[in-house]
Amino acid sequence: MYEGLSSPNIHTPKNMQEYSSIILHYPSSSLWAGGTYIMSRPDAYPSNKLNQEIIYLGGMEELHRFQRNDRFAEFGSMVTLDEIISTGKTVLPKVLIDNIENIGSRLITRRATIGGALATSGMTTTFPGTLIVLDANVEVKFIKKKRLHSRWMQLTRLLDRNGHLVLPPQGMISRVRIAFTDKNYQKFSSIGSFMTKAEDAVSVAFATTLNQDVLMNPTIAFTYPKLGILYSRDVDNVFSSLRFPLDDKEYRSLEMILFTFIDSTFQEISELQRVRTQGILRGIVDDLNEKALTMPQYEEG
Amino acid sequence: MKIDCTIDGKTLTLSLNSNKPLSLILRENIGVDSINHCSGKMCGLCTVLLDGKAVLSCLVPAFELNGKEVITFDSFQRTKGIKDIEKAYETVGATPCTDCYASRTLIFESLVNEGITDREEILKQLSLVRCHCMVPDDEVEIVHKAIDIRRKRNVRRPQFS
Repeated sequence: MYEGLSSPNIHTPKNMQEYSSIILHYPSSSLWAGGTYIMSRPDAYPSNKLNQEIIYLGGMEELHRFQRNDRFAEFGSMVTLDEIISTGKTVLPKVLIDNIENIGSRLITRRATIGGALATSGMTTTFPGTLIVLDANVEVKFIKKKRLHSRWMQLTRLLDRNGHLVLPPQGMISRVRIAFTDKNYQKFSSIGSFMTKAEDAVSVAFATTLNQDVLMNPTIAFTYPKLGILYSRDVDNVFSSLRFPLDDKEYRSLEMILFTFIDSTFQEISELQRVRTQGILRGIVDDLNEKALTMPQYEEG
Repeated sequence: MKIDCTIDGKTLTLSLNSNKPLSLILRENIGVDSINHCSGKMCGLCTVLLDGKAVLSCLVPAFELNGKEVITFDSFQRTKGIKDIEKAYETVGATPCTDCYASRTLIFESLVNEGITDREEILKQLSLVRCHCMVPDDEVEIVHKAIDIRRKRNVRRPQFS
């Protein structure tokens, strides 16, 4: 069936020079990393796009490299999630490992790539939120004045006002750098399926250091796949001002403040997403309350 | 687009749409009926072995098949490998239902090939098949038994290159 339809042209560059000449020649071409999201769309085949040009990044060896030192790990954008788990399970931040393991079967993680998970067009996966919490940097390659340029930037700088990751025109993420963190409380929670029921799914990534009863450098990101990511210094500051354990009244006030932020960023959050966000938040606060109560206190004198 | 690949032991040159999913290629171009095509809904019932590793064929586009070897359940059931898995089913006393038999067996084969014995890892890999005909403990035991059976078979009949 559909054999008579025009077949997309596949370009498989072997290095960055080839990539830049292809993207200059076909500026509107789509980038193809692992393809798990593209192939799971109902209109993936037969595609209704005519004269489609696809650049498959799997042939570029430099995008498959990863390296690590004692401060950070650096992954090429075509490194699969399964490779990340198998090489860095013991050293990478727990919130990232939990996020990858949350995806499920290795049949998926073996194909899905870190670059593809960040730069999925049309929806937001759970990964940008997690990497923002980890203060990750990405190397973006883009075309300017008919030449390929590259620039390292914080992932938060790619977020627009609506919480979407926006790359420069004809830009691609080529490397991701994740710093190792010693934050003693890291949590990733996701409810609902981002792939099949995106309108009701939500994920939250949170990392902080609980010192006595206060949180040091808390960072939190809420991800709603169809709407975008909520990440704000103001939200982080709300957490910094808390003293744990929180009682019910303090918890309700925290929840109210957070939902004021969420509602002002995303007006179309569904009722189910709201309830799920509340559930995740409750879980985080319960964990922190428990941790604050069981943590050994400094002895006076 | 012309694609050179090996499907079920036959080396083929196929003229295909470059983004056609492997599950549809197998159903329409090769005539393998045991494969389900769910258009990427990840039902787990379209599992095949691509270069020896289990993949969901609905997520693999045609252009990625160049030079690769695909094994479907139809040809796998004629190999010695399936006997190890079937013997493990018999020993444990649990067999997948007819709906998920092909997919689950291929995932078991992939796990046995990779020598994965970790319970969490086994269950995670099998979690994709949404059919509830098997108990998790049985699945783990089947993999452990099949690895044992294969090890014994390989020791008895060493392969010399």
